[in-house]
Amino acid sequence: MSADPVVDAIVVGSGPSAVNAAYPLVEAGLTVRMLDVGNRDTTYAGLIPDGPFSELRRTDPDQHRYFLGDDLEGIGFGHTGAGAQLTPPRQYVCKDTDRLQPITSQSFFPLQSLAEGGLGGAWGAGSPPFSAADLAGFPIGLEDLQPHYEVVADRIGISGARDDLMPFLGPTFALQPPVDVDSNGEGILRRYAIQRGALNKAGLFLGHPRIAMLSRPHRGRLANRSWDMDFWSDAGKSVYRPRWTLDELKKFPNFSIVSRRLVRSFEERANGEVIVTAANVDGSGTEQHRARSLVLAAGTLGTTRIVLRSLNQLDRRVPIVCNPHSYAALLNLNTLGDGVRDERHSMAQFCLVHAPDGPARPFTVGHFYSYRSLLLFRLIKDNPLPVRESLTLMRHLSPSFGVLILQHRDLPSPTKYCSLAGGDDDRLEIEYSLSAREQQHNDAIEADIARGLRRLRCLKLRTMRPGHAASVHYAGTLPMSAKDEELTTDRTGRLHRTRRIYIADGSVFPSLPSKGLTFTMMANADRIGCHVRSALRA
Amino acid sequence: MVATSRPRTEPIAASPDAVDLRREAVWFARYLIDAEPSEALVERYVRANAKVLHEPPTTRDAAVLAFVHAHPWSLGWLDAGTAFTRGAPRLRQKLVVMMAILEATPDYIEQTAPVDGVGIPRLAWRLGVAGARATAKLALGTALAAVVVRR
Repeated sequence: MSADPVVDAIVVGSGPSAVNAAYPLVEAGLTVRMLDVGNRDTTYAGLIPDGPFSELRRTDPDQHRYFLGDDLEGIGFGHTGAGAQLTPPRQYVCKDTDRLQPITSQSFFPLQSLAEGGLGGAWGAGSPPFSAADLAGFPIGLEDLQPHYEVVADRIGISGARDDLMPFLGPTFALQPPVDVDSNGEGILRRYAIQRGALNKAGLFLGHPRIAMLSRPHRGRLANRSWDMDFWSDAGKSVYRPRWTLDELKKFPNFSIVSRRLVRSFEERANGEVIVTAANVDGSGTEQHRARSLVLAAGTLGTTRIVLRSLNQLDRRVPIVCNPHSYAALLNLNTLGDGVRDERHSMAQFCLVHAPDGPARPFTVGHFYSYRSLLLFRLIKDNPLPVRESLTLMRHLSPSFGVLILQHRDLPSPTKYCSLAGGDDDRLEIEYSLSAREQQHNDAIEADIARGLRRLRCLKLRTMRPGHAASVHYAGTLPMSAKDEELTTDRTGRLHRTRRIYIADGSVFPSLPSKGLTFTMMANADRIGCHVRSALRA
Repeated sequence: MVATSRPRTEPIAASPDAVDLRREAVWFARYLIDAEPSEALVERYVRANAKVLHEPPTTRDAAVLAFVHAHPWSLGWLDAGTAFTRGAPRLRQKLVVMMAILEATPDYIEQTAPVDGVGIPRLAWRLGVAGARATAKLALGTALAAVVVRR
């Protein structure tokens, strides 16, 4: 057994949930130890010069190293699926997960992470809060989350606007002004302004996205400099990464982090201590850590493994939900042939909401991205024309090219579940399928949105479906429940039938609305961290 | 059961001949952007083939590549033919690899960067010319590719 002292709380993971659950504990002076594998990018981080994409393209002879990768990992010919959107400098985020967190599935292809900062090292930074309607079925309401949305919004920095999307994206918290939209997005928003009446009547609304990207300096980070390098580097730290919060936590003397540790299991002792067993991923041994409470925030699937293993619930099915999603390749006819501004950011240019029944009923959210910094060869690869002519077409059309990423809400069902198989490698087995009715419903929404896009003079060229969980928005394996049931959590995040085991990541979401869950996950983690703080003080 | 013949799509042994790859690099760069690649780019292309295209080519792929090596003039036609039919993707994959290498090189930014502000008439003309060329190449290239893979 480790001779380390008993700490007040052990937090497992270092992603968006983990750092935000740890923050209120650390801030209150409690001793917190974070256990995490903590993979980092040791190849590209120092290689990418500060500067705009267009300038680097013109001048940097070493650009092939980060744009294509030292092992050419940026050129792939596989299916557009989980991780396909990761550029070489972001691929460290999912390093070692196939080996250390194996999954068997024919239908569910999640990206997992063992990186410092978790999946937040590569997220799209979309940060819409859930509305009261989105939280239907949760044992908590908006009033429970609201103060934590405000705290987290200030911690991570969110830009956005008070526009047509206010009824759908909810009130604004510590909101910075929106980052400038690029020429492509601007053209569509101009058209929207002309067609607003008809489009709104048809249930389609456009506006600025809520995005964890700074338009003003904040907490030592810089405003986005419109370099269009956000998929490649973290220049100025303008896009929020959990690492920035981790850096803040490391300044507290009562916070410590032990890296290269993969937590295997926990055990509650009669004396109130929690024993956490972790493997050293660089060696063969395991070690034990002791605490007065445990906060699991290792990502939905990582946390599920730890819980099922610890409670010896092998082959026991637990539910899983994820946002079914699609990529629609669009040609924006509004700006065809026009000159475009070089300055732009790489994240979502605008947000689209499809809400024919208004904001009180379930609606669908999409985000529009322009296409440039991912380079043209990726478009050419999937084009059924000769490469030379494809190059000519893409060079001329790409300034008006965009991708609308749509994600649909999801509810649990008997055809969506996962279980931990016995055996040496602790393989998670996941089955996920939509019912015919769910699929038809989603198809009907996409067809309706396509009609609205035509009114916006956006031509849909192709729809891609990267597969379930490729969106990375999966959750719900250990859902919050008002009932005291095994493998569920109470409203404070405490795992039912345990005393001091808390879960602070996406595992506790009983369902997913059509919104990115990360911001709410962070707010909920802060809320759970506050509960743990109160419990420890009591 | 004893197999009496090999299916046409079964992989055959790879021949990672660096000399062949170097020739490909030069032909591909000329074909794609009318430029002579530097020695560094040729080396990068050879290395990329080992890293990215390490699976052995199918018999169809091998037939197409052998034809291109014997008749370099056919590159554009077979690019079109295999792009459309998707029956022998290796040539196209190699072209995309070379395209990626050229695009991530500052020397060729004029030939590979997006073009904007040309106005609708000029845009329509350029796309029309490219479309017509692609159509012609697809028609002839598909026929040539069909012949080549059956030889």
